[in-house]
Amino acid sequence: MSGSPLASSPLAVQRGILGAVLLVVCWEGLARGLHLPSYVLPAVSEILAGVWSKRALLGEAAGYTVLEALVGYGLGCLIGIGLAVAITMLPALRAVILPAATAINSVPVVAYSPLILLWFGIGVASKMVMVAMALSFTVFLSTLAGLDRVDRRAIDLMRSFGAGRLSILWRLRLPTALPLLLAGMRVSTVRSVIVAIITEMLGAYGGLGWVIYQAVLQIDFVQVWSAIFVASAASLSFFGMIGFLERKILFWK
Amino acid sequence: MGATTSLVKDKAATGLRPAGRPAWLRKTARLLFGLAVTALIWESAVQLFVIRPVYLPRLSTILMAIAATPGAYVNGFLRTSAETLIGFATGSAFGVLTGIAFFRVRALREMIFPIFVVSQTIPVIAFGALVVLWFGNTLLAKAVIAFYLTFFPVTVNTLLGLETVDPKQVALMRSFGASSGQLLLRLQLPTALPQIFVALRLASSLSLVGAIVGEWFGDTTGLGVLLLQAMFTENVVAIWGALLAAALLGTGFYAVVAAAERRLVFWSAEQ
Repeated sequence: MSGSPLASSPLAVQRGILGAVLLVVCWEGLARGLHLPSYVLPAVSEILAGVWSKRALLGEAAGYTVLEALVGYGLGCLIGIGLAVAITMLPALRAVILPAATAINSVPVVAYSPLILLWFGIGVASKMVMVAMALSFTVFLSTLAGLDRVDRRAIDLMRSFGAGRLSILWRLRLPTALPLLLAGMRVSTVRSVIVAIITEMLGAYGGLGWVIYQAVLQIDFVQVWSAIFVASAASLSFFGMIGFLERKILFWK
Repeated sequence: MGATTSLVKDKAATGLRPAGRPAWLRKTARLLFGLAVTALIWESAVQLFVIRPVYLPRLSTILMAIAATPGAYVNGFLRTSAETLIGFATGSAFGVLTGIAFFRVRALREMIFPIFVVSQTIPVIAFGALVVLWFGNTLLAKAVIAFYLTFFPVTVNTLLGLETVDPKQVALMRSFGASSGQLLLRLQLPTALPQIFVALRLASSLSLVGAIVGEWFGDTTGLGVLLLQAMFTENVVAIWGALLAAALLGTGFYAVVAAAERRLVFWSAEQ
């Protein structure tokens, strides 16, 4: 990650915190100073108070959403990595799978949600399927790019020592693909939570998306913002968790 | 679409080209052939395996349904395209500008970039609810949602692209007395362009997502509205019709951006 916008030095961290503090102060000042009604912009303190007073409701909803996002995430990663490995092991499949995956992906993924809701009902299953669909293509593409990046000569060398396809895959291709694969998985974390929430909005028994939609209908905008706050916190911690795992696994980076 | 064209290109590069006909004709023929094969497989698979229409209706049924009420689909298509285009254009411009600003002023980047990152974890539907409230149920509100989904990848890639510029080239241009404006236009932006286009391709599909989701907050025309209405009436044929229209819009827009990329970044190795 050297030279990336996320690389952090102590000064950068200080400035980042300063930026966040400034944002909160401006927000609070704007909302309080101009006496903005809460449907335009509630003050930060009001939102935090809202999170606290509705903690039971929001906690339960977040549990729902996080479960959907996590299971969908696992499924999506398995499908993406599985397909990429299958294509690498059996190159004949490439001509079938690649165009099919591209065609399915040409439709914006949220457009599938009415169909998926009809097929899988409005319980948790439909959200897991949607999340898996939304992620698998990204993970598939980044895994494939990683697996293809292998040095031809390294393969020839391993072959000359009598290594089979499986052992080349396990010892050479997968480790080489790991950085790209994990980067794809990290980017997908935030998306998994967002897709789960979007799908909940169209129909669900619970979850943050459902809470947000109900709050919109009841014009309770403090609750909308509280749910947004919880959703953001959930995505960020998920993102942080995968980023942490990434650094642990890629210890040589 | 991008992968398909690159596949086509790979084959052309390895010498499979039949001599004579121009490239675009061959490509179009290939595309039409692929579509025809897909349609044939779809139609016959549904008949052969007796798939229930709830899961997959026959393609001909869907096309006939579209042909029966073409007005709704055409209007929806145009409306959603307009929202997508406005969101994409403003989002890309904002993304490039903030990317340049963050590149120039390090303190600004360190203060605001983390906030940008956090802003992307706000689920768009929550944001959408607020935007519709702020701007009313207008075309503008949907364009703002599309904008919100679009700008971030463009900012990131502009920044990354600008940072790949070779410092020695900068020093050389400076030694000939180039101003920072000239430096930006002649060296830094052209160097960043391939990276920026990667983000623009991604942004083209994200802006469509924004437009469709934005329409779910209540509207009367648009592909998102068609999807939602079809879902409420459990009309699977209509859902597939709207899906096909969305696919057409998505691939069409992606193809336009990719074509612009080939034109503008003609030197890039990837193309």
